[in-house]
Amino acid sequence: METADLTHHISRRFNEDLEKVRNQVLQMGGFVEEQLHKAITSLVEGDSRLGESVATDDYKVNGMEVSIDEECSRILALRAPAAGDLRVIVAIIKTITDLERIGDEGEKIGYIASRLATMERPADKYREVKHLGRQVAQMVHDALDAFARMDSQAALKTAREDRMVDEEYEAIQRQCMTFMMEDPRTIRRALEIMWIVRSLERIGDHAKNICEYVIYMVHGKDIRHTSLEDVAKQIDSAHAKR
Amino acid sequence: MWTFALARLAGILLAGLVLGFFVGPVWLWLLGAACVYLGWQLLNLYRLDRWLRLRSRMDPPAIGGVWGDVIAQVVRLHRRKRFHKQRLVQLFREIRRSTAALPDGVIILSPQHEIVWFNRQSARLLGLKRPVDIGLRIDNLIRSPEFIHYLHGEEFAMPLVIRPPVRMETFLALQLVPYGGGQSLLLVRDVTRQMRLEAMRKDFVANASHELRTPLTVIAGYLDTLADDPSIDPAWAGPIRDMRSQAQRMNAIIADLLELSRLEASDGEAAQEPIDVPRMLERLCRDALAQSGRPRQVLLELESDCGLQGAHHEIESAFTNLLVNGLKYTPSDGTVRMRWWLDAEGAHFAVIDSGIGIPAEHIPRLTERFYRVDAGRSRGAGGSGLGLAIVKHALQRHGGWLDVRSEEGRGSTFTCHFPPERVWKPALRSVASA
Repeated sequence: METADLTHHISRRFNEDLEKVRNQVLQMGGFVEEQLHKAITSLVEGDSRLGESVATDDYKVNGMEVSIDEECSRILALRAPAAGDLRVIVAIIKTITDLERIGDEGEKIGYIASRLATMERPADKYREVKHLGRQVAQMVHDALDAFARMDSQAALKTAREDRMVDEEYEAIQRQCMTFMMEDPRTIRRALEIMWIVRSLERIGDHAKNICEYVIYMVHGKDIRHTSLEDVAKQIDSAHAKR
Repeated sequence: MWTFALARLAGILLAGLVLGFFVGPVWLWLLGAACVYLGWQLLNLYRLDRWLRLRSRMDPPAIGGVWGDVIAQVVRLHRRKRFHKQRLVQLFREIRRSTAALPDGVIILSPQHEIVWFNRQSARLLGLKRPVDIGLRIDNLIRSPEFIHYLHGEEFAMPLVIRPPVRMETFLALQLVPYGGGQSLLLVRDVTRQMRLEAMRKDFVANASHELRTPLTVIAGYLDTLADDPSIDPAWAGPIRDMRSQAQRMNAIIADLLELSRLEASDGEAAQEPIDVPRMLERLCRDALAQSGRPRQVLLELESDCGLQGAHHEIESAFTNLLVNGLKYTPSDGTVRMRWWLDAEGAHFAVIDSGIGIPAEHIPRLTERFYRVDAGRSRGAGGSGLGLAIVKHALQRHGGWLDVRSEEGRGSTFTCHFPPERVWKPALRSVASA
């Protein structure tokens, strides 16, 4: 298994460095996940303080991104990694960018949620948005799990879920339009909700990107802009060869 | 056995010697005899070796003499080893079966926090996968910032309650138990039911207090009117006065209950507003001096002009509760001292009274709700029984703690300790006031 590459190294220090930076990425991921959960909770429960705390804590995500980035440059300069290790570093550099963007979207949701908390709440208590939020949070979680386990199969499965998120997004969009047409007084709220679902949809895309980096890291194949069916075939053949 | 073997060797050599003596050259016969003996031994060695290799599939070769003895030893050793192995395997299976049957999740972690082993329940609760997760770091899979903080901290006495990312509606209590060789055991327990019950209890208290408030306001209002009504028989004046005071007390209890449930409901750290503690204490002291039936001396010792960062309302209610307690339990010729000071460990506020004191065995339980040192004592004085519980919760939310020292008959000291992070420095104060 290529996963074993990480643990068999001539230089033990190098191993430790790689493992440490991977752990930092996952820590950052954990923080981003929590931010996302908090943002969704603050919207659903109308907790403006929670939403504000999400918005003010985003600077921590940015700080983590910078420090991981530095660590990666240091490894690149000092160890000049090749093959699998190089792919790990490249994948990490890309992953943290997406994580940081997820953090930004979470910040946006938290900010809007704290504003919405002061407005009248709809009868369905944002059930659809909550559902979409759950789905997206699960996607981020699964993507990070796949990253931790170097599991390309799980990554592919998670990447496929993005389509469902897109469908859900369109459904909510249509629903919002219906609300606006029925009662113009809801336009303001519906517009804010549109921003939130848009952010959630973007987060789904970022999670999908992370999955693609996992596949790149494990198999060395760049699958961006290729259809997932082709990728599945390639991965299956790679598994069959082993 | 060995003498027999030596005798056999001697016999063969002797036979060779005798034959050589009669028939041909002695050395040739002797050499032949030695070769026969050596060949026979080699054959036996070969049979032993073959048997040792294929031990499980064939019976031991039937050889007598020294070789038979050696084979018997080997068989015995082997049997004993097999017996021990079986016992160990059995024991191991028992342990594995019992840990698998445990209702709690168990994970063994290496010193680097890598997963060494986990049982089925923990896999279910945390969504771990076998065998890919063996050897992975636990904090790569459970990424909640709280958990990571807990894992890298030193404080493992209390379990940490988190909401697992896989199933947000549940609560899990995680506890790390370090043991020999830097390894540790991570216990995972589903505490959803307890947390729900706890939430229900809090909700119930808050709702019940809220619902009681309205009828009580009506009753108190009518009692006020009745007390001022001149047409009522003067014989009723006493009962009405009692009813009014009891209604006031009930109001105070409900207010305390609501305050407490509010403190409990707002989890996490208190806000960070700057509080001018010296000015607050001066005001409290003035109010205390204005009260009738107070102890003779009420003193305020301000040794620092620093303030606190926290929720103004909570700190004021905590300090008021402590002061009111001190005033209540101190006789009219006693002294109540308030002290506010700052040192390296943070800021401190103490209420020192020369009152009746508290027996030592009651001190640990003082902050429980409705706990009475003795039934007659505080009810007579009109307390709600919730004051110290409020103090405890308010301090907890500010990272502080309450210290109680008391000597029966000589007085008590209640001290609030605040960590240095919560101290609001005077340097900042001048900027703020300017």
